[in-house]
Amino acid sequence: MSSFDSLMQGFAVALEPMTLLYGLIGCLVGTLVGVLPGIGPALTIALLLPLTFKVPATAIFVLFAGIYYGAMYGGSTTSILLNTPGESATIVTSLEGNKMARRGRAGPALATAAIGSFVAGTIGTIALTFFAPWVVDAALAFGPAEYFSLMFMALVTVSAVLGSSALRGLISLVAGILFGLVGIDLQTGQPRFTFGQPEFLDGIEVTVVAVGLFAIGEALFLAWQGKENKKADVLAVSGSLWLSKDDFARSWKAWIRGSLFGFPIGAMPAGGAELPTLLSYYTEKKLSKKPEEFGHGAIEGVAGPEAANNAAAAGVLMPLLTLGIPTSATAAIILSAFESYGIQVGPTLFTQQSTLVWTLIASLYIGNVILLVLNLPLVGLWVKLLMITPQWLYAGIVVISVAGVYGSSNSVFDVGLLFFFGILGFGMRRFDFPAAPLIIGLILGPMAEQSMRQALTISQGQWSTFFTRPISGTLMAISIALLLVPNIIRLIRNRRQV
Amino acid sequence: MSTRLIASFLLVFCAIAVWQVFSIPESTIQSEVGPILAPSILVALLSILGVFYLFTTISNKAPDCTHQAEDRPLKGGSTRVLCMLGGGFAFIVLAKVIGFLIPAAFCGLGVSMAFDAKFNLRTLLMVFSIAATFWTLFSAILGVDLGPIIRLPF
Repeated sequence: MSSFDSLMQGFAVALEPMTLLYGLIGCLVGTLVGVLPGIGPALTIALLLPLTFKVPATAIFVLFAGIYYGAMYGGSTTSILLNTPGESATIVTSLEGNKMARRGRAGPALATAAIGSFVAGTIGTIALTFFAPWVVDAALAFGPAEYFSLMFMALVTVSAVLGSSALRGLISLVAGILFGLVGIDLQTGQPRFTFGQPEFLDGIEVTVVAVGLFAIGEALFLAWQGKENKKADVLAVSGSLWLSKDDFARSWKAWIRGSLFGFPIGAMPAGGAELPTLLSYYTEKKLSKKPEEFGHGAIEGVAGPEAANNAAAAGVLMPLLTLGIPTSATAAIILSAFESYGIQVGPTLFTQQSTLVWTLIASLYIGNVILLVLNLPLVGLWVKLLMITPQWLYAGIVVISVAGVYGSSNSVFDVGLLFFFGILGFGMRRFDFPAAPLIIGLILGPMAEQSMRQALTISQGQWSTFFTRPISGTLMAISIALLLVPNIIRLIRNRRQV
Repeated sequence: MSTRLIASFLLVFCAIAVWQVFSIPESTIQSEVGPILAPSILVALLSILGVFYLFTTISNKAPDCTHQAEDRPLKGGSTRVLCMLGGGFAFIVLAKVIGFLIPAAFCGLGVSMAFDAKFNLRTLLMVFSIAATFWTLFSAILGVDLGPIIRLPF
């Protein structure tokens, strides 16, 4: 069956009333968490993981896809009206978007962000639809050695290449993998890192770690700083929510260029959304006919990065669905949702769970349309949400986090762990350790260990198998280069300066 | 709390991890790679990284947001953190004994007071309604098991 036929089948399921309702709820919740500071899609999806016991897989992934895309749309509202980027990917949007809002052009800024997100989300999803089967075909040739090397590359790039310090990124990653190894070893049945506690035998729940780091850790950090205790200074939505002819003419090329930056970079293991948004911003600045407006509220500076951000979000789904490799914290938690259903994510997903995957992809198209329709007319409602005082906002976030964790296991031990990871998250935030590598290590680490052991069993204990097989060796060489080359360049540069 | 203290915590964590690696029982199943190899490599790697981190703290290269004026906390930061953790502790101690509502409200109270809410009737009403709303959402609507809203201990 061709990709197009499979997609049409996916649309047939995604347009069923119940699935559509889950998609709509996902988009609404996603926009809500994108708008509200302090909560992101990773945390929200982690909190909703207990629902995997009750809700069918198709519906839950449509819900999660809606949340993921919705949060990307909602994040721009906070950046533009509050100058508080909800996540690193929307920092660039706030540079020009907030300046536009201060000049009384919040409406066009929100409009170009929303339409740009729609255009980029759709382009990204089209690319996902047609490129994913190619990647699957290539990945079917992968054995355990190739998988281990691929995961190794993903782990190295996420921790050492992205972020401000390779050392702190690697510490976070290794700690995450160690937390992932807690519990019974699947191959031999031996308990590891359990301290003799039966509660640890099943391992540490991803929900507990993710919610602890992102929700409790963030709340502790902001409470400690004591600077968030007043109502936010939200700018009014001024100006028309429609784009003028001139604004449209300045925006559409930026949307396309942003999408072309976002999708391929987002799909790479080391991609992320920060790099394409920055690239898009500087490209637009270079190509703009009015470069003097940059820094004072240039519409291209909102259109391009917002498009890049949303296309990158679609790109992140590519390695997740085709290879089972998460390259962001949100993708890592979606992967653990697949595991909750006992679904093996990787190239076989497209053959064994074809309906699920294509429904998910179809729901991304539908979600984009829902989000475009919802976002602009409801912007007044989203603005009102920004008026909630931090006392009640964070009380709500922490209570919902506690309820989510307590509800998934009915164990106060897990709530204790939640606060332990909250304190860890607070420390990591204060001392600038990135949290995403820890989450990705927690989920990917045990999978990488299994692949490594399978590969070594096949090769009868020959470690060279990771370097002598062509694909595996290439991936290993890339990983080592990514780990060493930036440091060598830095050393050479420092020596030259001396 | 200085960065050196954090580096020391990291090294203590590594020492505990080493002890736990030595506590992993030998597997009786014949395998090329046993359950100890990966943990051993990782703990060794983390220990090396921890030592490197300690060096960066000694040379004052490790960042701490208190070194930057805009990120420095206002007075009473530790008290606010303790207030929030106290709310969490109340939940852990009481949830199994008296049901979800009151411990969750205490938890919310700790958080709101950490964000400078005053202890008054309005705050109490707010945190109780937050706790009740989430119990209704999770337990009554979504069917997640949070236990009874109130459990009478007698």
